[in-house]
Amino acid sequence: MAEQTQGAVPLSAVIADAATGVALALRGEGGPYALSGILRHNDALTPAAVRVLGADALAPYAMEHRGAPVGPEDEAVVRQALAAYPPGADASEVSRWTYRGLVEASHAFLPAGAQPWPAPPEAATGWVDSTPWPKLSHRVSQLAALALPKLAPGLAEQLTARTDDLSRGFVRAVRRRDWLQAAGLGRWLARLPDVAPTLGLDSGLAFVRQMGGADPRVALHVVAAQRFYGRGW
Amino acid sequence: MTGGRGDPGLLDRMVRGSLGWLDEARGFFRLPPNVTTDADPNLTLKPLGELAELTQLIGVLHPRDEIRQAARGLFAFAWNETRDGELFAELIHGEPFATYPVELYGTFAQAGLRHADADALVQTTTRLRGWRVAREDHTRTLNVLNAERRLGLRQHADFASVLALTGLGRLPEPWTLDRKSVYGVTHDVFHLTDWGRNRQRLSPEFAGYLRLWLPSWLDTWLEEEMWDLVGELLAVTACLPAAPFDPVAWQRLATAQAADGSVPEIGAAPSSGDPAEAFLACYHSTLVTAFAATLARIACDEAEAGPVAGDPALVGGRTPCESENAP
Amino acid sequence: MVTDRTAPVETATLAAEVEGLLEPAEADGVYRDTRECTSALLFLGLLLISPPTPRPKTDNR
Repeated sequence: MAEQTQGAVPLSAVIADAATGVALALRGEGGPYALSGILRHNDALTPAAVRVLGADALAPYAMEHRGAPVGPEDEAVVRQALAAYPPGADASEVSRWTYRGLVEASHAFLPAGAQPWPAPPEAATGWVDSTPWPKLSHRVSQLAALALPKLAPGLAEQLTARTDDLSRGFVRAVRRRDWLQAAGLGRWLARLPDVAPTLGLDSGLAFVRQMGGADPRVALHVVAAQRFYGRGW
Repeated sequence: MTGGRGDPGLLDRMVRGSLGWLDEARGFFRLPPNVTTDADPNLTLKPLGELAELTQLIGVLHPRDEIRQAARGLFAFAWNETRDGELFAELIHGEPFATYPVELYGTFAQAGLRHADADALVQTTTRLRGWRVAREDHTRTLNVLNAERRLGLRQHADFASVLALTGLGRLPEPWTLDRKSVYGVTHDVFHLTDWGRNRQRLSPEFAGYLRLWLPSWLDTWLEEEMWDLVGELLAVTACLPAAPFDPVAWQRLATAQAADGSVPEIGAAPSSGDPAEAFLACYHSTLVTAFAATLARIACDEAEAGPVAGDPALVGGRTPCESENAP
Repeated sequence: MVTDRTAPVETATLAAEVEGLLEPAEADGVYRDTRECTSALLFLGLLLISPPTPRPKTDNR
């Protein structure tokens, strides 16, 4: 966890609360979803939290039957996050891809406003083929928020070729009791079409939820795998 | 894990190093006078039994003659320690319902080494209904069944039925295996394949399962530096059709092997300077290293020679399996 | 956008924190194995030898 030096509430706690709210919405509980309902308006931490949550900040809008329309405050918060935390010229693949995920989610799930959304930044996929499976798995788990319908189709296609390796990463992560990594990988595996049945992905996701669900982001990944890909029940 | 032909030079150096250390350690394998009474079998018979089982295999299967000769020397030493099998007659006489004397004796019997009194005893004890009572550890039962086969006895249970109850037979979720259960899976493979002698007995389903999940098990136990388990997992890997060769794992194991050829059980070898302690900490992993490197060496030669003739289905990767997808 | 004068400074500080949260280093593995309630069946126990069997009484005991 990163250190938080200022303010009473650390960023990680704000993110955890927001993740809880997103997971609740994905389970169809807690009333109509609005970003403004889970993050405080005018809080300097809000755009940062949205940037870290990435596409997951808008995940409830990807559900087919959602309750209420998207409020205008949500659009403003996302624009704030995109403006404040763009990936720099030397940004990592994870930074680029998570940013891209938030942009893509805005395109896909938010109504086109008066202003156009920024174009998704270029993000490479060469590393998908060339990275050894343990490192690949760790990185892909950090991109768990992109495992949402309609997002990053090219990345999903590339990852399909590494399904077995990501499955090995899931085994490794559970064995290491790295529940967040396991949940993120399990969520991606839920999206990929050809996961080996012997992995036991459904019971694996349920197990990770039980073991690591105290971390709201773990719960969020498992709920997303259930909601959007029908795995982990 | 990559395919490829492996590194025969490295593998041979590792076997030579291991056998050299084991040869120097003969004194610690010697059985004490009280071996059939109150000595701890785990500190006396077990080391000698492992030495016999694995040097017998290396002495027959290793492609290099000088390595086979070294292994045969150790195997002959082990038989000599049993006083040409008289030990087994004494052990069975003392503990007629224990399986371990029969299992140990089977190791020598497969090489044609027999003792008439021991044979007469096992004929009687292994046909008892009491012998056929299920044992709590199915993996262990597989070893008993193999011993019966090696001794020419009727097997007391159906091998396939017992295998179906084991950690391999159940194809457990690969993320559920802990140390004990992964040891179980490796030994299920060793018993099923007779320590790699009959690798074709590994069904395509089991081979596909192992090929898929061995890399993740190797990774975590490499991280834990449990070298005997790393060696056993590498030995299982070498039992697969068109066996993959993991250069990183082999290099790590090679690095764990000390200059004197010993391989510690876990982490680094004890540094107390007590040779007896060093023996107990290293003999098992050192034997396993020689065994694994021998199987991997054989796999190298097969890769060199091209695909093995036989059922192409054996070379397959992932195998179809009932989907667990919820409808 | 609603901002105040401290916002640029905070954003700069937060940017590093955001990057850290997006891409934390992998935690060390936590390995814990099932405990055995029976006698310490050492891993090698699987190889050949039975769990300790009752030893026959010897004459000199």
